[in-house]
Amino acid sequence: MSAGSSSAFAARGLAPYLFLAPAALFALVFLVGPLGFALWVSTTDWNGIGAARPVGWGNYRYLFEQDPFFMRSLLNTFLFAAGSLIVGVPLALGIAVLIARSRLQSMWRMLFWLPMITNIVAIAYIWRFLLNDTNGLLNRALDLLGLPGPDWLTGINWAMPSLIMVSAWMTLGHNVLLFLAGLNEIDHSYHEAAELDGAGPLRLFWHVTLPLLRPTLLFVTVTSLITALSSFALMLVMTEGGPARATTVAGLYLYDMAFTDLRLGRASAAAFVLAAIILAFSLAQFRLLRRGGVERH
Amino acid sequence: MIQTLRTLRFVLATCLTLAGAVAPASAASPPTTLRVAAHYTAKQAAPLLACFKRYEAAHPGLRIDYQQVSYRDYLQTVLISRVGRSPADIYNLYSIWAPQLIGVGALDRPPPSLERLVRAAYTPATVQAATIGGRLWGMPSAVSVYQLVYNRRMLAAAGYRAPPRTWAELATIGAATVRRNRQGNVVRGGYAFGTTTANIAHTFYAQMYAAGVPPFTADGRGTNLRSPAAARIVREGAMLFRRGITSHAMTVGNFAGRAAAMTVLANWQKSALAEAFGDRFSSEVGVAPIPTDGPGGTMIYSFFWGVERASPSRPQAWALIRWLNEARGRDGLTCTGRMLGGMGDLTGNRADLAAMRGQLADPFSRGFVAALEAPGARPQANVWHAEEIDRLLRYYIELAWYGRMSPPAALATADREIRAILAEQPR
Amino acid sequence: MRPPHPLALLRYAALTLGALAMALPFADMFLGALRTPQELLAVPQVYWPRDPQWRNFARVFDELPMATWLANSVFVTSAITLLQLITSAMAGYALAKFRVPGTTLMLRLVLGAQMFPFFLLIIPIFFLLRFVPLLGGNDLWGQGGSGLLGSYAALVLPFAVSWYGIFLMRQFCLGVPDEVIDAARLDGAGEFRIFLTIVLPLIRPGLATLGIFVFVYHWNEVIWTITVTRGASGLQTLPVGIYLLRGAFADQSTEALQRAAICISVLPVMLVFLGLQRFYVRGLTAGSVKG
Repeated sequence: MSAGSSSAFAARGLAPYLFLAPAALFALVFLVGPLGFALWVSTTDWNGIGAARPVGWGNYRYLFEQDPFFMRSLLNTFLFAAGSLIVGVPLALGIAVLIARSRLQSMWRMLFWLPMITNIVAIAYIWRFLLNDTNGLLNRALDLLGLPGPDWLTGINWAMPSLIMVSAWMTLGHNVLLFLAGLNEIDHSYHEAAELDGAGPLRLFWHVTLPLLRPTLLFVTVTSLITALSSFALMLVMTEGGPARATTVAGLYLYDMAFTDLRLGRASAAAFVLAAIILAFSLAQFRLLRRGGVERH
Repeated sequence: MIQTLRTLRFVLATCLTLAGAVAPASAASPPTTLRVAAHYTAKQAAPLLACFKRYEAAHPGLRIDYQQVSYRDYLQTVLISRVGRSPADIYNLYSIWAPQLIGVGALDRPPPSLERLVRAAYTPATVQAATIGGRLWGMPSAVSVYQLVYNRRMLAAAGYRAPPRTWAELATIGAATVRRNRQGNVVRGGYAFGTTTANIAHTFYAQMYAAGVPPFTADGRGTNLRSPAAARIVREGAMLFRRGITSHAMTVGNFAGRAAAMTVLANWQKSALAEAFGDRFSSEVGVAPIPTDGPGGTMIYSFFWGVERASPSRPQAWALIRWLNEARGRDGLTCTGRMLGGMGDLTGNRADLAAMRGQLADPFSRGFVAALEAPGARPQANVWHAEEIDRLLRYYIELAWYGRMSPPAALATADREIRAILAEQPR
Repeated sequence: MRPPHPLALLRYAALTLGALAMALPFADMFLGALRTPQELLAVPQVYWPRDPQWRNFARVFDELPMATWLANSVFVTSAITLLQLITSAMAGYALAKFRVPGTTLMLRLVLGAQMFPFFLLIIPIFFLLRFVPLLGGNDLWGQGGSGLLGSYAALVLPFAVSWYGIFLMRQFCLGVPDEVIDAARLDGAGEFRIFLTIVLPLIRPGLATLGIFVFVYHWNEVIWTITVTRGASGLQTLPVGIYLLRGAFADQSTEALQRAAICISVLPVMLVFLGLQRFYVRGLTAGSVKG
């Protein structure tokens, strides 16, 4: 602390609080308040218009014991998230490795980044057209190659994989950038030493690059997982949860419950259950990252 | 110094932005604005919008805003904007939404004089559709009925002169007219079910009525989904998919695109079909009763004009509705009638129907009018949470279509869950 | 120059393939926007438009309130971005440079709050905005009117603060040397002047990064906007307007118009942001600023 007049000191004493005031006020009004309100709503049968009758844990019990679809919607959510990870993360890593060793890095980066700046409605429609079973570009191309053309969005077994593919396509650029950043931080002397030992590119990747990239890998995996668990805009626009609800994830299910059927209590309870699951993953993320010794991410 | 100035400008701009953002958008409206929400596109609603202009000219200080909300978004829009307390003043409602809307107190009762007018001037089926819990809730407007439409040329090319009378015949003709590409995907459906909840659930209802078994019990507390007729309908639908006569990607619009030989649709699609088929409309598009092994029949569904109970201008709203449905132009039609007639839709307004006779003389409309007047045509039941029930039913029908559940098992599960929803209706 | 290694060739081939997979969908969308109704209705659809219908782009502006949607998108997204920049910089600075009681708690809150998914807040914030007293026809108890719903505030205020943004700005502020700040204090500068004239310019790269980050995210936001603008169609943004088209353009022959509208929703952002790419990249990797 430097010397100063007492009034200046008083001003400085107050200053941090003034700087923090907007955020603190926001936290109260748009986080703590709403969470409390939602918690209360989740214990009632409120429809947003009439009076709310308290039902205690009834909504939560209903979701697990009676609701015909809630558990399936959770399963769909996990399927989507797991699929997005399994397809998206290795693909992004592979592309990042390719870009890192190539010229024109910024051009490649830009190309893979295009979907990130495209609104999700446009993405959904772009792919709805591409994946049309008879007129879509994809099946036309497969036909030229003499291959069968699946009913990507209307086949009950194909719809979820298709959505996973689109989601991976959509988030690829983001993850590629993160991996590139991670790759750039790796000290080149490791590679040089390994190359001198005569290691081939695959072995080099597996035994040197990958272990050094672990923190980034972990970060990308967990953030992608959390995003995938809580997103449903893609399903809303692309498949409306169909066919036969094969792509109705929990977020979409509870959104309809709230805003078409006005079952706000039940929907709030469902939102808390899903949020608790996501929160558990977030906490696991913190612990994992800490154990990995990567405070910096 | 320049930095400070810049920052100041930055902060100032933000404050202005904020101030602008906080001021409610409704601050600058004229004395009375009536917002009319309907699902008709601006093109379909053109005659109505012209009437609004005339009405505004005759009533200074009154403004009418037309809010187009697509059919699929309509109920959700009404409910959310109601919950958010910024509802429209006048609704054009699908009658099956009414119980839920009345349940949340969304609708105003019409004034007695208007009620008398409705009872005198409209067909009983449409008055019944706008009646929930023994009370009338608005002024009937569109009436539609489902029929099978078929492409005469495609059927003739396959050697069929007459449309199918049973679902088995439909499958035979469908198999003869379907075209698949090298990949085995259907490029021209023998039949098209459509991909929306309404397409799937309401076609099923129409088939139920045709089979002589209404989908819901008379008291609105149960369903007939466990009946053999219901199982048969779903089984026959699933068979069309299994045999590759149709695909899950086929839309009702494919019929207009000449990519489907047959589909079930309602008469309001007439103008769109006429546009798509051009001068071949009459010769190419045929209309037939819904194929069935039962006594035959179909489902009638209706819309009505209603007024939002929370609207501050309810008297003006009812006055506008009355004018739209009572004042007649030189063509002898009311404003509503002119719009509906233009689309090929029917109305419950007897005088309008009489004035439309010329427009309804073509084979297409004749087929639908005949169906409407046939004894097997039944008005759709206005059940509690109909939208939610339709979604549920669609899900189970699809499970059966995809072979994930047997039709009776799917329908039995649907029945159990639908009854649970119906039981919530306050008595 | 030595000849390229065969592996390098393979690498470039793979990258080119990947780049094609990224770019082709957009090209397909664009091509489709140029088809005539006849080409769209042909079985199978005609792929290459023989007589490109450039008119479709103009028709979209004539038949749809594209200009309103665009203006709403620009206004709402800019307002959110400005607010988040200000609140994030202020709070981030306080958390990085002041050690007073309460800052630790606040930092924990910032980290913890990031974990709450937004869908959990949709229902309560919707009603919270409705119950704002004395605005939008409401009485003192928040009853009677629509509160802030139906105003731009409903689209902007719930995103006025970003916990992630605060965290990011804190990381950038940590990099501001204490000596500079202390020197300014010795010169008698007030805390706010220090913030405005010294700290803000120094973290400008961070602000640019965050700004673009926020802008991209909120430009594309759909779920909240669609929920709030159901009753106020005049507030609809570009993505929401285009989403609701699915009902209006159900007909196959109007597919080209739908595609044209989508192209228009995509293109301006792309052009603007491709130019600003380097800031965005920095934002993504800024988490690795040593903290």
